[in-house]
Amino acid sequence: MTRLDRQSFLGADSNAILETATIGIVGLGGGGSHVAQQAAHMGIGGYVNADPDVIEETNTNRLIGGTLADVAVSMPKVSIAERLIRGLHSKARIISVQVDWRDAADDLKRCDVIIGAVDGFKEREQLERFARRHLIPYIDIGMDVHDLGKKGFLVSGQVILSMPGAPCMRCCGFITDERLEQEANRYGAAGSRPQVVWSNGVLASTAVGLLTQVLTPWYQNPPKFVFLDYDGNKGTMTRNARMELLRDHVCPHHPPDETGDPMFDIRKQSFRPRPAAAPEPARRWWQRIWNRLSGRGET
Amino acid sequence: MGAVLESRARLAAVDADAAGASEGRGMNIRFKIMSTLLAAIRADLRRPHAFAHERVGFIAAGLAAAHDELLILARDYRPVRDEDYLRDQSVGAMISAEAIRGARQWAMNERVAIFHVHMHGGRGVPGFSGVDNRENARFVPNFVSVAPHAVHGAIVLSDTAAFGQVWLDRKSPQPFITRFAEVGMPIRNWRAA
Repeated sequence: MTRLDRQSFLGADSNAILETATIGIVGLGGGGSHVAQQAAHMGIGGYVNADPDVIEETNTNRLIGGTLADVAVSMPKVSIAERLIRGLHSKARIISVQVDWRDAADDLKRCDVIIGAVDGFKEREQLERFARRHLIPYIDIGMDVHDLGKKGFLVSGQVILSMPGAPCMRCCGFITDERLEQEANRYGAAGSRPQVVWSNGVLASTAVGLLTQVLTPWYQNPPKFVFLDYDGNKGTMTRNARMELLRDHVCPHHPPDETGDPMFDIRKQSFRPRPAAAPEPARRWWQRIWNRLSGRGET
Repeated sequence: MGAVLESRARLAAVDADAAGASEGRGMNIRFKIMSTLLAAIRADLRRPHAFAHERVGFIAAGLAAAHDELLILARDYRPVRDEDYLRDQSVGAMISAEAIRGARQWAMNERVAIFHVHMHGGRGVPGFSGVDNRENARFVPNFVSVAPHAVHGAIVLSDTAAFGQVWLDRKSPQPFITRFAEVGMPIRNWRAA
């Protein structure tokens, strides 16, 4: 019995399909770290992990795989994800890009599916547009906490599967000009965004379920457009009403004639192999001593 | 000049798992198409014609580059009109110069890559027949002339897969499409060269 035998109901070829698949995970914080972990558990073989940030102490309430020792050395979130994945799949093909995802476009273009776990509406829309241009299914997850005054707080979120040709995040009303404008006006003054591990986990697990349906569906004709609402107070994940309303809707926001890179010219392309990733720099001597003395471990 | 295509189905003994970069600038070439579009193309190509033994059409695609990979991203399909087939019993289908002119205009006007497509049926990765190879080499370079910013080529479909070749310009070798991806639920990937 191999370690993946218990998921063999995904299909006779599912192990090979998952192994050869490459997914992009944009944002390796609370949501994305769950996705990376679960994808590795499932045996997905290829990863393009993009996040420019390093772990901070306030991330440790939810960043799967992150430790206090990582905080001490300002470990990049992509390095934590890579360590997490390698712990389950030592031969995984991992590209860790500690830059804005837009600077890793060539790596993301080659992904089979992209999962976005980012904060803003603008970034979500850009990611979705990028994915559509390259005929890549995009799965978006996000959560928020709303202050209800005397009634307390509402933990909520959404999971959206945006397949090329199917309704997009604008079609379903999740991204609107008003929301983008509100976000732009509040830019730089958003303060800390409340995040908790359990709701991130619910959303990420749901996204991994959709990812599995895109790669190896275990039942016929799963929906191409998925818009699920999470209510963390009630503990429910429900279909948004627009999922049914938009069943046969043709997306007008991302027409097919937008595929490809704008103004592409074959005569100007050099087509060079991806440069080999530079080895991770060794931790400095004082970082290693500090970790050892502070009891945070050092390997 | 018309384009002619052999009618007989021919399935090449191509190892679906064979790896390797295509010839020409050391690139890998991936062709991606939505499953709905591919299904519509197959349905169209299966339609009987009054006298032609098979149907042909053109796929327009956008292009993108990613390191050493050329991505061909299918956008749309246009069938050859019934009246643009010419009577020629020696081949499966012969189409008029007008049909090719229209496709060339499409390439120029919308800056798209154009792929001639026809179908052999059967299962597995198909292959070009000798007639296909001869005719592709004759008329695909005409697209390169009018829209040199893009690559152009030809694709043959089976009931389950596809196979294709790309013209990068008039001089370079014509590499085969390395990988195909049918984007749907589920995504289907296969190696073709």
